[in-house]
Amino acid sequence: MTKSTKALRSAIALTGVSAFALTACTGPSGGGGGSTASENANSVIAYGTTDKVTALDPAGSYDNGSFMVMNQIYSFLLNSKPGGAEPTPDLAESASFTTPTEFTVKLKGDLKWANGHVLDSKDVKFSFDRQVKISDPNGPASLLTNIESIATPDATTVVFTLEKANDQTFPQILTSPAAPIVDDEVFPADKLLSDDEIVKANAFHGQYVIDSFNKNTLVSLKAWPDYKGVLGKPANAGATIKYYTDQTNMKLEVKGGQIDVANRSLSATDIDDLKKDSNVKVHVGPGGEMRYIVFNFDTMPFGAKTPEADPKKALAVRQAAADLIDRQAISDQVYKGTYLPMWSNVPSGFAGANESFKEAYGDGSGKPSLDKAKKVMADAGITGPVNIKLQYNPDHYGNSSGDEYAMIKDQLEKSGLFTVDLQSTEWVTYNTASKKDSYPVFQLGWFPDFSDADNYLTPFFVGGGFMNNHYSNAEVETLIAKQLITADKAEREKTIQEVQNLLAKDISTLPLLQGAQVAVSGTNVKGVDSTLDASFKFRLGTISK
Amino acid sequence: MATLIDAPPPTVAAPKSKAAGGGLGRYILIRFLLIFPTIFILVTLVFFLMRITGDPITAAQGGRLPQEQIDALVHQAGYDRNLLIQYIEYLGNIATGNFGRTISDGRPVVEMLAKFGAATLELSINAVAVALLVGIPLGMFAAHKRDKVPDAFLRTFAILCYATPVFFAGLLLKLTFSVGLGWFPVAGRASTTTELAMGRLVAPTGIYWLDALRSGDLSAFGDIVHHAVLPAVALGLLTAGVFLRLVRTNVIGTLGKDYVEAGRSRGVSEYRLVTKHAYKPALIPIITVMGLQIALLLGGAVLTETTFEWKGLGYQLAQYLTARDFVAVQGIVMLLAVIVAVTNFVVDIAAALIDPRVRY
Repeated sequence: MTKSTKALRSAIALTGVSAFALTACTGPSGGGGGSTASENANSVIAYGTTDKVTALDPAGSYDNGSFMVMNQIYSFLLNSKPGGAEPTPDLAESASFTTPTEFTVKLKGDLKWANGHVLDSKDVKFSFDRQVKISDPNGPASLLTNIESIATPDATTVVFTLEKANDQTFPQILTSPAAPIVDDEVFPADKLLSDDEIVKANAFHGQYVIDSFNKNTLVSLKAWPDYKGVLGKPANAGATIKYYTDQTNMKLEVKGGQIDVANRSLSATDIDDLKKDSNVKVHVGPGGEMRYIVFNFDTMPFGAKTPEADPKKALAVRQAAADLIDRQAISDQVYKGTYLPMWSNVPSGFAGANESFKEAYGDGSGKPSLDKAKKVMADAGITGPVNIKLQYNPDHYGNSSGDEYAMIKDQLEKSGLFTVDLQSTEWVTYNTASKKDSYPVFQLGWFPDFSDADNYLTPFFVGGGFMNNHYSNAEVETLIAKQLITADKAEREKTIQEVQNLLAKDISTLPLLQGAQVAVSGTNVKGVDSTLDASFKFRLGTISK
Repeated sequence: MATLIDAPPPTVAAPKSKAAGGGLGRYILIRFLLIFPTIFILVTLVFFLMRITGDPITAAQGGRLPQEQIDALVHQAGYDRNLLIQYIEYLGNIATGNFGRTISDGRPVVEMLAKFGAATLELSINAVAVALLVGIPLGMFAAHKRDKVPDAFLRTFAILCYATPVFFAGLLLKLTFSVGLGWFPVAGRASTTTELAMGRLVAPTGIYWLDALRSGDLSAFGDIVHHAVLPAVALGLLTAGVFLRLVRTNVIGTLGKDYVEAGRSRGVSEYRLVTKHAYKPALIPIITVMGLQIALLLGGAVLTETTFEWKGLGYQLAQYLTARDFVAVQGIVMLLAVIVAVTNFVVDIAAALIDPRVRY
């Protein structure tokens, strides 16, 4: 009994000591990631994101989270300098069309991988060939369909033979997720290499090498002094990438200084809140993300396969909707300015973009017009309100989609011209069903594969497009094909504008919003704005504190 | 939960038969063998329930790929074969420790289980520590002050503890002590510096505070404990409430026994009666209840880990469920089943060692 009493007393004492110990630990942590701000260009930058890494192997991933890391550790034949999206030689010394179907790249001399292996034309050919050979479902191999073959006449020359001549998007493809160059002595030719093996082999050639890799938890990068690409020496000694699931946790850690900079994906409300906080800076840059409504030409009201089929009336329905939707109100009220109104199929900022919908619909200056909508409907002989079954997705395009589409319903119904049956479906079935004529009118979004206007045209409007909405216009397809091979920039831009004008007449899709890139940083952090450019590549190398 | 707490102490189960011919060895063997059918049934259920909605690849892709490509991948992975054959093959694979690779990020499932299992184990240990440190002393104190104001207060506190949803408790703690007062970190198991240091250890166990102690890094240890407090309290309070009520009830029950009355009549103080005579019998049921609480703790860990970005099995389970990664989910559920089964086995044995009457 005495022994037991002692044990009990010990337990109680331990309780007290533990409580004291825990209390003692509640002060600021010395080892905190709060990395005290030192005005030192050689300090380590702490970056936070809610994106996830699927794979470090470029053949095994095609998502923002993986590509963000790849942009720090791999080089490309062509890349863009911070501030723009113009393809510029990176590993290449020069790159251009040498015949209409041959794109020749000359590599810089004496290139080496961080592990000491030689980086030459063999690595380049190997990188593209394995992308195509592996063709992983999570990978970007589909971007390389125009490559017929690759030749390497010598160690510093690579010749791409293309199926379609004068492909003006090809230089952009070389900066895309399909194009990081990998070490042929490390990566297998026919299967993916695991993240840990890549890190262990030190198979990097970028501004940084990976110092430690804890997937989707914490990645530590160290500046690599032998990098010879277009991005130059990073403005910091290294960086950590911390992964969050809860955007609120990330927001709180930026506010608390535990991380220096965060982007993707803070909500509009969080960003609005952070804008009012004097301890942080909110940075906004151009974005390539697009939100739009798709009309299924077969099943929409008066569509080709409906009992009341009438192409004129169907067009009037689309035009009236275009007249009535107030993009600015959605941008301001739902997205707090993190998405901006979009008045064409090609987002502003891209070469050739115009605002074809702005002039053609509403009051001509971007505001809605009820009178115009009423006239369009009356001219087409539509008397009563038209019922629209409008579908949106609640889990793929962010939490605000519900508010966005509630507002669209309200704007359409307020006119008295429409009654809207608003429905939502989870992405698992939504994406498949939308392509199988299940939804007459529905929401979609798009993020570009590479920074070129064509990426908003060919996938949508050539050969039926990926949306499978039964829209087809031979003139549009001819012009899209033309701009794709027009080397003269001014002429190409003119053709792109013609395409947009035709699309605005037909309204196969109704562009609504263009996303902005938003990052949040501590007030002592510099260089964030430099990387928020039209390349949509977040480069840690521009950031310092 | 209420029946659990109000029920008489479960340790006094009447012997079903005489121990002769049984004995501890036989009891342990039977209990051990019972683990396997339990796990087998669960694995089978999970396998077939997961397949009700289709094959794992179609589910994970969510219609992102063209149907032809999905069909090719499904065929390549063998998910278009007879379900029974797939099931037998699956059992064969897990029997040899081959759990495959996750669909969404291609990670070996075994590696994922080892890494994130350690984090969940750490959180569970921390939570149990909180539950014991809070539940037992307060339960004894409530018994000592029975029917007085402190007792009423502690009983209400206990009810609040186990009636409050763990995610709500977590959010409340986070808002108060992290966001409001700034005393504790918002999220994570450690600061960046410590996380990196833990990742660089030669043979880490994955339990951060243990690794920090083994490497003699007291600064890292402090940082880890600092991060662990709120998640451990959020999860631990759930069980602390149960323990508090249980200990209180049992101590009061014991205080009514003849031998305690005899002590009381000899002038032994009430405090001494509680701390010297009544506590040991009152603690025995804690061991049994602890086994039952493990499943509850693991369930709560899913929510606690998500709230505090504690990257353990619960956190990963939520991620993989969102990604519809059935292969990963099966692996995690299987491991959780093993943990619950093994814990219950250990608890049964411990209870049998303490009180031979429970053997049969």
